[in-house]
Amino acid sequence: MLTLPHRPIRIMAASILALAITTLIALVLWAILAAASGSDSGSRIDIPHLLRMTSIQAGLTTILSISVGAALAWALNRLRFPGRDLLVGLFASAIVTPGMVVAFGLLSIWGRNGWINQASQSLFGFSLGNPAFGLSGILFAHVVLDGAFAARIMLARLDAIPTSRLKTGQSLGLSPWQRFAILDWPALRSTVPGLAAIIFLLAFTSFPIVLLLGGGPANQTLEVAIYAAVRQDFDLVGAVLLAATQIAVCSLVILAASALAPIPTSFGPSTPPRWRDRGAARLLQGLVLLICTVGFLLPLLSVLIDGIGAGMVRVAAQPAFWWATGSSLVIGSTSALLTLLLALLLALGRGATGSGVLRTLLGMPAFAYLAVPAVVLSLGFFLLVRHLGLAPATAAPFVVILGNSLLALPFAMATLGPPLEAIARTRGKLIRSLGLSGWRQFVLVEYPLLGRDIGVMLALAFCFSLGDLGVIALFGTQDFQTLPLLMFRALGSYRNNDAAAIAAILLIGTIAAFVGLPKLFERIANAAR
Amino acid sequence: MVKFTRLALAVLSGLFAAPVVAEEVPILKIYTYDGFAAEWGPGPALKAGFEAICGGCIVEWIAADSSIGTLRRVQLEGDTTEADIIVGLDTAIAGEARATGLFAEHGLDLAGLNLPQAWTDTQFVPFDYAHFAFVYDEDSVSAPPKSFQELIALPEDFKIAIQDPRSATPGLGLVLWIAAAYGDRAPEIWAGLKPHILTVTREWSESYSLFLEGEADMALSYSSSPAYHIIADKDDTIHAALFSEGHLAQTEVAGILKSSDHQELAKKFLAYLTSVDGQKIIPTTNWMFPVIDLGAGLDPTYATLPQPEKTLVLTDEEIAANSQRWIDEMLAAVQ
Repeated sequence: MLTLPHRPIRIMAASILALAITTLIALVLWAILAAASGSDSGSRIDIPHLLRMTSIQAGLTTILSISVGAALAWALNRLRFPGRDLLVGLFASAIVTPGMVVAFGLLSIWGRNGWINQASQSLFGFSLGNPAFGLSGILFAHVVLDGAFAARIMLARLDAIPTSRLKTGQSLGLSPWQRFAILDWPALRSTVPGLAAIIFLLAFTSFPIVLLLGGGPANQTLEVAIYAAVRQDFDLVGAVLLAATQIAVCSLVILAASALAPIPTSFGPSTPPRWRDRGAARLLQGLVLLICTVGFLLPLLSVLIDGIGAGMVRVAAQPAFWWATGSSLVIGSTSALLTLLLALLLALGRGATGSGVLRTLLGMPAFAYLAVPAVVLSLGFFLLVRHLGLAPATAAPFVVILGNSLLALPFAMATLGPPLEAIARTRGKLIRSLGLSGWRQFVLVEYPLLGRDIGVMLALAFCFSLGDLGVIALFGTQDFQTLPLLMFRALGSYRNNDAAAIAAILLIGTIAAFVGLPKLFERIANAAR
Repeated sequence: MVKFTRLALAVLSGLFAAPVVAEEVPILKIYTYDGFAAEWGPGPALKAGFEAICGGCIVEWIAADSSIGTLRRVQLEGDTTEADIIVGLDTAIAGEARATGLFAEHGLDLAGLNLPQAWTDTQFVPFDYAHFAFVYDEDSVSAPPKSFQELIALPEDFKIAIQDPRSATPGLGLVLWIAAAYGDRAPEIWAGLKPHILTVTREWSESYSLFLEGEADMALSYSSSPAYHIIADKDDTIHAALFSEGHLAQTEVAGILKSSDHQELAKKFLAYLTSVDGQKIIPTTNWMFPVIDLGAGLDPTYATLPQPEKTLVLTDEEIAANSQRWIDEMLAAVQ
């Protein structure tokens, strides 16, 4: 690790940021405890049972999502076909689409009244019943959400394998399997801990999807119990205790992920490879792509088809829709830029230190926001804002921007962290021998190599914010609304057509961001060199 | 953002208009749930209607994500709350709201109301109601069950979507409904319903979407739900299944906060809310029954909706004393 350039400012900046995030979470919990006036917490919740059920579900989700994601990234990296960029954008959009939208998309394909059942009914005259409910339904929905996200991140790593390495590999005549083991796997391996942690946390804290598709209280997450403690019982002490339990469990996962050292890989500019696999491997790639396209894209496609109907005209005629679109765009862009700043600070600091403990400490706060239940955050932020003497309506946009940035931070770290650390490790010697300052190191070496990743990260953060509902719960006013909020308001007033139209618009915006932003940033970064 | 602009404008205009002492326009801040304040909800029309008669006041809706969310927000804010009124609590949580001691007497004479039961509450003013009911589509369900017993006796592939009583007011309503109808036998009913429960969703909207998508045969909703489909969608195939045990009604209420500086104005608003002009807005925006007889002012569709023959009643005290136990029984039975 002696080759690392000495960057004390980066390490200090990252440490201060990590401390700030930790303090914020602590303040949130403190604010709730302070508001709870000696209420007793006669918690009637079977925590061990909940933990067991949730862990099994989240563990299975993680394994499935990572496997499916790797297979899909592998297939997409090799195959070239018209509309590939659009397809990649579509895959990526699942993670940031509100979970409910994806779940209902899934049901319109696999549900009792879905396309598949209707086809089976008219062709063979029998119904499959309700295959999309129960544990299998939860897993399916989660894999659609998370597997495609894993594929997007992994694809970026595969696409970044330098052409020179590919050429060497090709001239050595590597078989498709050797090629995967020698060239692809080292590039993928560095993303696995971060991705696995994120997916586990997402599945562990998933709440509406689990409730919708799980069938009922038998399949639940701790998050439901926390929601009930805050909402139904108004047992704030109990809520904080439950939240602390959840944070503790999640921290173990985060700790494991943060402690794993990334594997050095070198990166070059991404150019479309000319080296195709042949024979069985190519057939397998086609098959993987076909299955994933059917499994992942049909539900999203059905969301688009449902949305482009009667509701669209009605929605577009509402001034509130345009207000919400404007707010969503402003909030999305602002929080994406803030996320970029936060992620760069943390990732640059992590990349600059050789100390394992410090690396872990700098990695953990990024996940903090995923581990803390949304209802607790909303409540805590609300109380903090009041302690500061601000009107909730004034603070709402800022809280939402900050909340969305923190929510997107682990995803941003998973995108930017591995390449940044790889650069620090593989180009450290070069940087030191050139005597570059930290700033010039970033401008001349890191930024040009990161262009595409920054684009992917901005797209992720922007879309997250576009689809998020998390912290707004207690901050709502008549004037301040985002597109997802508008969508849920429509759903809550029988206006399913309007909601479907807004869902489709959200999805189109998301896909556009995922297709456009990575390309744009790759171009900007390369032009700067 | 809008707030900021407003604030900036206020500061600027204040600077320029400094010598003139501006007449302060009273702002009535009303907490409600988001669907109520939505563009297509009753909020905008009620605001316009009341501002036209209050003689120079401004109504400001502040929408939380649910009715219970508004109560929790006021509880957190205590007597420093900026809310003058809460609109949209229901009778199942009115007892809890009363126990906070934050609400003032409304002082209105509510003798002339047209409700399933006489109204005697001195703090909360009802403004709409409907009975909890399962809705079905006659195209797919030709013989709807006429009681919980009949529902239980149906084949297991007959599915219903209901809501979690810990997060949705209709979900709590169903727990209370079954308790009111069956008393100590409620756990039996829940155990019988279990095989028919497709899923228990967090919100009403998710259950209702499952029903509209054809995933569930029936969803827990309201006896007034068909009105939306008939009036807005021109679809008259959706009906509420009437049960012989009788139905529990959800009555939505509004209350004035003790801490409000605009007590008289707030009372005026509640009077307007229960007046003919205020009530005319409710049925085709909030899709519930009005609490006064509107005569020809009510969309004729409402007169065609079949009504339950029997309305079950639970008192605040019964609800406060038992709802926790009833919810636990329900969760244990369906787990």
